Amino acid sequence: MSQTLRPYLTAVRFSLNAALCVENFSSQIVERHNYPEVENKKTKEILLNPLVISRNENEHVLIEPSINSVRISIKIKQSDEIEHILVDKFTRFLTKRAENFLILRRAPIKGYDISFLLTNYHNEIMMKHKLVDFIIEFMEDVDKEISEMKLFLNSRARFVAEAYLSVFD
Amino acid sequence: MSSINTPAIVMDNGTGLTKLGFAGNDLPSWVFPTAIATRAENSNSKYNKSTSSRGGQTSGGNLSIKRGMEDLDFYIGEEALEAAKGPSYSLNYPIRHGQVENWDHMERFWENSIFKYLKCEPEDHYFLLTEPPLNPPENRENTAEIMFESFNCAGLYIAVQAVLALAASWTSSKVQDRSLTGTVIDSGDGVTHVIPVAEGYVIGSAIKNIPLAGRDITIFIQTLLRDRGEPDTSLRTAEQIKQQFCYTSSDIVKEFNRFDSNPEKFAQYMVETVNKSRTLTVDVGYERFLAPEIFFNPEIASSDFLTPLPTIVDQVIQASPIDVRKNLYKNIVLSGGSTMFKDFGRRLQRDLKQIVNERVASSERTSGAKSSGVEVQVISHKRQKNAVWFGGSLLAQTSEFKSYCHTKQDYDEYGPNIVRNFSLFSVP
Amino acid sequence: MLQLDAKNLLVEDAFLEAFDTDYVPATLDRIITDFDFTTYHISTPESKEKLLFSINIKCWNDLVKYGVFQILKDKYDELIILTEPEAGWNFSLYVDLTQFKLANNENKKELASRLSLLKSHCFSAPFYKAFNRHDILAAEGPVDPNNIYGEDISTVTEEVFVLNYRDSEVIYIKPSNDRVTVIFSTVFRDETDKVFSKVFLQEFSDARKRSIQTAPQVINSHREPPLEIRNLTSNPFNETTGEEKTYITFVLFPRHFSSVDVRWNTIQHIQLFRSYFHYHIKIVKCFLHQRMRYRVSEFMKVLNRARQDSIDEEKERKTVSGRRFELRS
Repeated sequence: MSQTLRPYLTAVRFSLNAALCVENFSSQIVERHNYPEVENKKTKEILLNPLVISRNENEHVLIEPSINSVRISIKIKQSDEIEHILVDKFTRFLTKRAENFLILRRAPIKGYDISFLLTNYHNEIMMKHKLVDFIIEFMEDVDKEISEMKLFLNSRARFVAEAYLSVFD
Repeated sequence: MSSINTPAIVMDNGTGLTKLGFAGNDLPSWVFPTAIATRAENSNSKYNKSTSSRGGQTSGGNLSIKRGMEDLDFYIGEEALEAAKGPSYSLNYPIRHGQVENWDHMERFWENSIFKYLKCEPEDHYFLLTEPPLNPPENRENTAEIMFESFNCAGLYIAVQAVLALAASWTSSKVQDRSLTGTVIDSGDGVTHVIPVAEGYVIGSAIKNIPLAGRDITIFIQTLLRDRGEPDTSLRTAEQIKQQFCYTSSDIVKEFNRFDSNPEKFAQYMVETVNKSRTLTVDVGYERFLAPEIFFNPEIASSDFLTPLPTIVDQVIQASPIDVRKNLYKNIVLSGGSTMFKDFGRRLQRDLKQIVNERVASSERTSGAKSSGVEVQVISHKRQKNAVWFGGSLLAQTSEFKSYCHTKQDYDEYGPNIVRNFSLFSVP
Repeated sequence: MLQLDAKNLLVEDAFLEAFDTDYVPATLDRIITDFDFTTYHISTPESKEKLLFSINIKCWNDLVKYGVFQILKDKYDELIILTEPEAGWNFSLYVDLTQFKLANNENKKELASRLSLLKSHCFSAPFYKAFNRHDILAAEGPVDPNNIYGEDISTVTEEVFVLNYRDSEVIYIKPSNDRVTVIFSTVFRDETDKVFSKVFLQEFSDARKRSIQTAPQVINSHREPPLEIRNLTSNPFNETTGEEKTYITFVLFPRHFSSVDVRWNTIQHIQLFRSYFHYHIKIVKCFLHQRMRYRVSEFMKVLNRARQDSIDEEKERKTVSGRRFELRS
């Protein structure tokens, strides 16, 4: 693990901890409605300042807090074409299963690969520190998974090529 | 597009057997068990290994290559059964109760079906797959994801099995109008379904299952053979007897008398012993007509399920919307191997007619009005055994088929949820 | 399954079944496919004991130019080859079952397997022709030992054999006095496939340097046709469809076609290159799906751990689809 990853994740963890201070809040515009305020952004006074934490130009996290919801968008590391395709495939695969994921947003925010939306409802049924753990673990594992897939692709390609060519003699 | 002239591929993956073939053929090219044999040790520890290999990746390229090849080491179909006899492979059935349970295995099963058995490049072909009634749409999406993303198949159509069975009945001379309305009785090895279909849509709320099917008949014959103390009472022998000698009688009591007065009705079946040194002779007696009888009088074989098939069919149709009931009675279609007994359709038609007539008569009595009558017709045809596959082959060879498919371009543009809807075949 | 089989299992099966002594002759009318737009047709138009076996290949006209008839005549000389093939098919032959009634099992098996290789035999014509041409060239102008890796100027004018085996994909074969060059052009329509193919091709090129010295040299180029065929392909990039061609060059050295058996092995194997290549890219995607499914279920577990315990104590639970069910305590 490289030098910068640890502080990066720690920063995300602390910011999330602070941001996840949400409470039930009924809409001030439409009676008896209850929106995640960060999504409809109609009531300015209950939105907080969004925050970007970046590790480098390819990897950053955007945290947008509000009174009853927090939106977290992650830009996953993509150093070349292959990783780009793999990340794209993986996030598509994940969002297709968003139904089971509760906090996963079906479409990422523009400029990011994947977004989560945490509302006060999620905070009520789930434990806050475990939710934060999940986000952190997700960020760690996605990177690992992508690089493992890339390694697999290379080793498979090598094997396949050798298997084909070794039949010639 | 390049795939205009290539025949479409029709794949019917059932719980027990998979039927694969090309549209336009009258028989599936391959029929084998929906089974996959994978390396035994990787089934549970595979991912642990790959996670533990993270630390050891630097230890050498060769090892990781070997580890990565496990997903190529598997067999499907008959070869899977063969391989599973050895110690190093374990057998899996990816489909349970008609629905795909294990997508990893299913994906590999398809991969081998396409490239090894059918020998075709999926990019060049359209595919017709089948699904059971009441398949959740998520399963369709998963299927589409595999077919389009992994295999890049040119186009895909997913059809409901019962609808294809209806289409297969169009070959029968009894069918005048090629409608997609009717009741399908689908009896395979494990379970029998009665499915009402109205204009191509399955009436889900009215479907009924009967826990009696091919396997129960075989076991029933086997017990009869054992009771009589025949020299060979293996399951295989019982199955052969079922396929070669059994038929449906019109009245059991009369049939018993006929057997007793006409001894030539009894048949004999020769079995070769394992080492082929001598042949055993097995007498075939009353089971010739008793075995199929379990559909009509279930009490002779089972103690917990006692409703006869004609009653179930009647209940199913009565549970359907009132405006389609007449057409459902008029077009009852048989599908699957266990409906192949001689005169099975005729017997079903007679018994069902009786039930319907009684009801019509009683309603005439109570209301005083004259009923126009209800026509009951059971259609049996030559393709019953692979009816679902054959129906698929029939539809997929029409020139319009490709326009009903969703193509790879559609998928890329709209995403997996396009397969939630398929336009129905218009009746030619 | 690592290697693709050159045999067509279905064709082999169909004939083995027909040659069987217990075979009950029946009316047949079957279509069977193979890679690269090849279709077979087995039917019984005259009598149930005479099977008509026809094949349709996309690039048949190209194959005819390179003497496919002669090859097939040699290969299937005991069978009746029709001078006028079945309508709609390129090549037909009759297999008369009565003729093989008495043949022993070995012969029957051999014939069935030979029939299942019909496609390979058809495609072998231009390769054989190229190898023979090489023999002549090599005899005329022996190889200059000092110029082993340079392009021989005298063979620039040599004819290049062209097979349009798929819609916009072509095989080029070029003989010269010290080598035979086989160039595949292939197209990937899917974005993912394009990227994966680059990784694979890189490994194909590197494999020889690394471990398998006896293999043919592989050179790949993207969008840019190799020198040998530059004058044949005027437009490497199709503007209208946006299709990008990838060229893969195999340089076969004399050791790859030194004897009859080696020749046949090389031909059979190199024909399958395109299918093999595309097949493995698809398998990789299958495996990635498998991994991702696993990863998703792992993430689900982590997320579910975050749920508060109090939920477990409630008697009623909901499934994903929203159905409620009671927990038995």
